[in-house]
Parts: sequence; structure tokens; C-alpha cells
Amino acid sequence: MKRGLKWETMLRSKLFWAVVAEILILLVGFIIRPDFLNIQLRTLSDGSRVLYGTPVDILNRAAEITIIAMGMTLVIALGGTDISVGALVAVSGAIALKFLRWDVLEYTTPGDYTVKPFFYALAVPLAVCTLMGLFNGSLIAKLKIQPIIATLILMVAGRGIAQIVTNGKQFTTQYSPFKFIGNGSVLGIPFPIIITLVVVLIMILFVRKTSYGMFVEAVGINPNASRVSGLRSGVIIMIAYIITGLLSGVSGLIYASRISSNDSNNAGLGYEMDAILAVVIGGTSMTGGKFTLVGTMVGSIIIRTITTLVLYFGIVSEAIMAFKALIIAGVIVLQSEPVRRAIARRRERRHMNMGGELHA
Amino acid sequence: MNGVILEMKGVDMAFPGVKALDQVDFSLRAGEVHALLGENGAGKSTLIKCLTGVHRMDAGTILLEGKKIHPASPQEAQQLGISTVYQEINLCPNLTVAENIFIGRQPMKRGQIDWKTINQRSRELMARMGVDIDVTLPLTTYSIAVQQMVSIARAVDINARVLILDEPTSSLDEHEVQRLFEVMNDLKAQGLGIIFITHFLNQVFEIADRITVLRNGKLVGEYQVTDINKLELVTHMIGKDMNVIYDLKKAPQKQDAPVVLEARGIGIPGKVEDISLHVKEGELVGFAGLLGSGRTETAEMLFGVEKPQQGSIHMNGEKMEASSPLDAIRRKMAFCPEDRKRDGIVADLSIRENIALAVQALKGFMHPMKPQEQQELAERYIKLLSIQTPDAEKKVGELSGGNQQKVILARWMATQPDLLILDEPTRGIDVGAKAEIQRLMLEMCGQGMGIIFISSELDEIIRCANRIIVMRDLKKAAELDGENSQQADILAIIANEETEEAVK
Repeated sequence: MKRGLKWETMLRSKLFWAVVAEILILLVGFIIRPDFLNIQLRTLSDGSRVLYGTPVDILNRAAEITIIAMGMTLVIALGGTDISVGALVAVSGAIALKFLRWDVLEYTTPGDYTVKPFFYALAVPLAVCTLMGLFNGSLIAKLKIQPIIATLILMVAGRGIAQIVTNGKQFTTQYSPFKFIGNGSVLGIPFPIIITLVVVLIMILFVRKTSYGMFVEAVGINPNASRVSGLRSGVIIMIAYIITGLLSGVSGLIYASRISSNDSNNAGLGYEMDAILAVVIGGTSMTGGKFTLVGTMVGSIIIRTITTLVLYFGIVSEAIMAFKALIIAGVIVLQSEPVRRAIARRRERRHMNMGGELHA
Repeated sequence: MNGVILEMKGVDMAFPGVKALDQVDFSLRAGEVHALLGENGAGKSTLIKCLTGVHRMDAGTILLEGKKIHPASPQEAQQLGISTVYQEINLCPNLTVAENIFIGRQPMKRGQIDWKTINQRSRELMARMGVDIDVTLPLTTYSIAVQQMVSIARAVDINARVLILDEPTSSLDEHEVQRLFEVMNDLKAQGLGIIFITHFLNQVFEIADRITVLRNGKLVGEYQVTDINKLELVTHMIGKDMNVIYDLKKAPQKQDAPVVLEARGIGIPGKVEDISLHVKEGELVGFAGLLGSGRTETAEMLFGVEKPQQGSIHMNGEKMEASSPLDAIRRKMAFCPEDRKRDGIVADLSIRENIALAVQALKGFMHPMKPQEQQELAERYIKLLSIQTPDAEKKVGELSGGNQQKVILARWMATQPDLLILDEPTRGIDVGAKAEIQRLMLEMCGQGMGIIFISSELDEIIRCANRIIVMRDLKKAAELDGENSQQADILAIIANEETEEAVK
């Protein structure tokens, strides 16, 4: 009886169906190309060894979205949304490259150096993105502006700021400590995966070991009751946007490091939608309330798997977006309330005779 | 007597693990108001849901005017002539009154919606209910009472023969209730059968012709209103003697007890003005007055939900400077708000989290309680307040009203306040839970807590309060001694301006 009940809750949870969807997508990949799931340890020219294969690539490339989506989960759980994250990715990269820059006019020798202490290239972008998060949070918590409008400001302005920072130029860098962020590996594991795991772990510890997670859920579910119970929802909301800003900065550094350059126009393009989608696929409702960070991580991996799958099969580039949308639509249908309930109910009926306990 | 219009026989309904209805019979005559009573969980809602096609019965038959029916959905039930008006208004607030009455069945003329007919007929319908309003204004323009009339108008106009009113009076004040009763009497005269579900027993005796009582999913009995008194009725409902539960003793009040809370001339212009009051340690101060007389506004000012613009509040002798609920909680104040769903419970969180919420807010999120601390706290109060739940992890939204109220009470008791403000803590909960909450209140007073108790039910206030403050028209109208006050005195103050000076 107890077992039946557990199955029941599982079948009704969105996270479960997200995992099912991920497995199905991987399976499709495997059926079409059996080497889709292969993982091997390769030795690079410099003697270091690194894991290689599509699954590793998926996790590696999912880093940017996963990291942003951790913050986005809190924002959405509070009933808000943050569409400035993509622009913040561009800002972060632009500032980093400002301190590392190599361009034809001033620094004529490309090479493994930085023009300012490396510390600047990491700390300043993160600080600026954190402040931008604070800006978003203040508009929303203090001035009560609707989140989508408030964050629209930086979504539009962010890329402009990134352009101004670099005078509209594109810098490149060969500074190896910076390149390591997006391209290096530790014990064969690509470094972005490690950053992602650290961020996810810190976030989970933060929301579940402090009461922050509970407060976010309480404010997201019932702001009035939370206020009467003594919660300072303004502070709670601000923190969520600040975290999202900071994490967008982290993500921006990874992106800039991967391409060893800043790209104010394309860095983080469309990340806000991918991050929101990752949160929703992961099982957190857009209306706010209960959230799951693990679910968000799964959601983000699903999105990346789809992208990889589409690229892997060499679908004509014009059709990529449409194809991606098609698979995402499938995932969302699988997760939708009526479908989940229908499947759960079929089981329920089978269990009825055994007297499984359920509330009405 | 008119003939039987609706008959339900031998209704069985089981949810997995629970038998919700067990061989229940129910019959409704045309032109009668039939009260369906029972405590929360007695099976009233389930019976209604079987009738309106929300649930499928496991066994039993429904005869409507002698014909067997099997409604499979509320829409189907409605087509058969069974309409329901729920406690929460199920209308679209942003549409006009007329649109709400005709939504989904708009009369058409040459392929277009016939607005003239809609507005015309809506006006007629509302007029027939004795409500003369502009039906082209949005629903939210009007009070809850009018909105309720609109839902009834809609229900009745869809050719209803059976009208189900599920707790229609719980958000209405005395006048509005009277108006609703007039409408019910009219409908009765037109030959409708009305099923009336309520927690207010006085209203049952006022309007109902017959009463059916359910308890634990079983039929206890069917009574003529004239053959039964309130005490017997309650005894049937709870299966215990009411005197046992209502054996409450007021906490003895010490004259020299220190003052916990003092408010001097607080007010917000246009809302409430110039309220002065004090509460002593171990004293229960009752707040009487009509809905909208300023009771809730006063409570919200005291707790910092609304910042008072005049006057000052002193807690334990210290002036309260900033005002927000958190400040009030820090000063050892607590507040159970009137609208439990909107301002009280966090429905999707567990009982444990709901109970821990205020204590945790006080500590700040960086100083979390350990999981086992939360667990112990929750379990202690579940036991102390006998909250009915399998465990502390159940979502609060899944509990009955009375148990939700207890969870909120537990949330505040856990902060160990010196002053507790309870705004309508017993509204919409069943007799048993009501008595339990009153008992708890008096117990806490006995332990030295000061309590402000706001209620629309005067007998409740008289039974519990040491001192009674009567509110009228957003002002404090009088202050009475709780020991010697009669219901009639208070009513006179609420109703009549002239008595004010005399009582003072």
C-alpha cells in the first residue's frame, strides 16, 4: 500500500516526467546513432586527459543555462521573472575582456598575458552583475514595478552597456587562466561542469539549510499571509534578483572564456527564455510557490540535450529552432496536468481494489 | 404541503480508504428551505457533490420529480434544474453584472449578442430580488452581498427547480443576511426547493423548514424546525452533549494587572478615527460591531499591517516606533487575521512550515531552526490544539477550516506573545472546533496573555470577554463590562445612535 502511494506521488510529479523525457530523448539519439551515448577518455596534445563524448558535451554546454536557472528558479518561485539575464551575460563578458584585452591598436602582440591583475577580470564583472541584480530587485521590491517590465530595462540597456564598456570593439584573449574557465578540465571533467556542480550545491545548501527557501515559497504562495506572519518580502525578493544577477555574471565569464572573446550582440542571446523554460520543465510553476532546484537542473539538461541532438544530426540550420520547439512541445505535453493525472489515475484505478489510501 | 421534488436514497460514496457517505437518504420538497447540517467532514459537501455530478455515487438513486437522474457533471445537473451557489463567489469580477448573469448563454440576434435583451432581463431579474442596481457596471463595483444575489439570480434564471446554497451567509453582515432571506422566501413562494448549508444555527431556525443532520457520513435524522431546539440540534450534530463543550469559564480578571497594550487616539483619516483602548495582562477584550464598523481596521493598525497616521501605540509600556507586522511580532504581539485564506494560511506549505513561519521570521532566515526543532514544535501544537491530521507534513490547504484556524493559532502561540489579536477566529468553522478555540482562548488568558477577540457573534463575545468594546461607523461607540452585559444592550448600541451617551 505504501509503495503504491509513493508511485502515485511520483507519477504526479513534474520532475519525474522531466526525467522520463530526458531518457526518451537520449534513447532516440541512441537508436539513430548508437555512438550517441559513448564516453571516452582522450589524451590531449599537452598530455592531459579529458572525458569526451556527447553526454559530457551536453553537461558541459548546459553550464551557462543551469547556473542562471538556479537564480531564475527563486525569482519564478516568488512569482516573478527576470528577462535581463541574457544581457547580463554580455555585460559580464565585455567587462572581463576589458581587463584582459588584446586588440590591434594598443596591444599588438597576442599572447598569454593580461593588462590588469587577473583578479579584476573576475571580480569586476561579478560585482557589476550583482549590482544590476540589485537594481532589478529594487525596482520590483521597492517600487513595485512588474518584474517583466522592470527587468526589460536591463535586457535592453545591458547590451548597450556592454558595447560602451568595450567601445563597440570585440577583444580577444589568449590568457590561459581565463581560458581555463570555459575550456579547462580537472581530473578529466570539463571545468564548466565543475563550476555548475559547485553552484548547484551552494544554492541547494543555501535555500534548504537556511530558511530562505521556505520564505521564498511562503511569499510566492501567499504574500499577504507572509507579511502578516512577519516576513520581509522585500528583502527576500531583492536577494533572489541579486543572486540571479550574480549567477548571470558567472555564466557570462564561462561564455566569454569559451570563445576567448567578448560578443555584446550574441553572448547570452535567448538565455532568458531557455532559463525560464528550464525552471518550468523542472517542475516549478510560473505562478510561484514550491520550487525545486534539482528539477531546474534536469530541465536545463533537457534543453541542452535537445539542442545537441538537433546539431548532432546535422539538421539544416534554418530548421533547428522549429525542431527544438517541436521536442519541447512534446516534453511539455507529457508533463501537463491532464496527462499526468490521466496516467496517475489509471494506476490508481488498478490499485483501488488493493485499498490504496488516498485523500479525496 | 407541496410534493417531494428531489429524493436521494441510500447514497453510498467511498474515497479510497474513507467511507464518505454511508446509506444517506435525503428528500426535498418544492417550496421549502431544507437545511443540511453537520460538522466539517460530516459529508454535506460530498452529498451535494454527488447531487451536482461532481462525484459519482457508488450506490444509491437520485429522483428528480420522480424521474431517475444520473448527472455526470455540474453542467448536466444545471440543465436538469439543479443549480448551486457556492460560498466563494464563482463569477467573473471584471465582467458586468448582466454579463455574469448571461455568460455562456447569451441571447443572439442576427448573429450578434443581443445586449439590449441581456441588460433588460438582468435588470428585471435583479429587481425581482429587490436589488436595484446598474447591471452594466462591473461586478466588483458591488458588495459581496450583491454579488451573491447575482449568482443566485444567475442560478435561478437557468430554470432551476432545486437551488443549493452552500454557506451563502458567511461573508454577509446582518442586513445583507436579512435581504438574502427575503430573496429565499420569494423563491420558496415560487415553488423552488432550496438546500441551505450553513454553520450559523440561528439562521437555520430563522429560515429553514426542515433540517437534515449528517455525522461522519451517516444520516442522523431529519427534523421539522418546529420540533427541535438548538441544544438538541447541536447534540445531534456533534454526537455529544453541547453543555459539556460549552462549559466555559471566563478567566478571572485581576484589577491590578499591568497593562500590556495601550493605544491612544490611533486612526487613519477616512478609515478609522480616534481609537483609544487598553488591554491588561490576562484580560480578554471583545470587539463587537457590524462588519465594516472598523473592527478589523483597528486590529490591523495595532499590528502594523496598516500604519496609523495619528496617535500612538504602547506595548508593555514602550512606544512602538516603526510599524510593520515584524515590529509588532518583536514586541510580542500576534494577530490571526479575519480572512484566513488570504492573510492566514500558506496553503501549499506543510503544517510544520506554517506553524514555524512566524517564529522563523522572528529569527531571520540566516538562523534557521533545525528540522527536528521544527518537527517538535509542530507536533507539540498538533497535540495541544488537537489538529486533526495524519502528520505534520500534510499541506495546510488540505485541512478543514477549523483545523486551518488552529494551525494559524499555533503559529502565533509558538511565538509566545503577550498580546494576541484574534479577528473572527471562529467564522466558518463547525460548532465543535468553535468551542475548542474559545476554550483555548480562555486558557491562554488564564496564563496571563492579553487577548483582543473580534467577532460578529455577540453571544460568543459575551460568553468570553472581560470587557467589551463596541464599534460603530468607524469609531469606538462604547466600552462595556463583560460580566454584566446583555446581548440586547450591545445590539442597541450597534443599532442606535441615541443610546450612545446613555451607555457611556
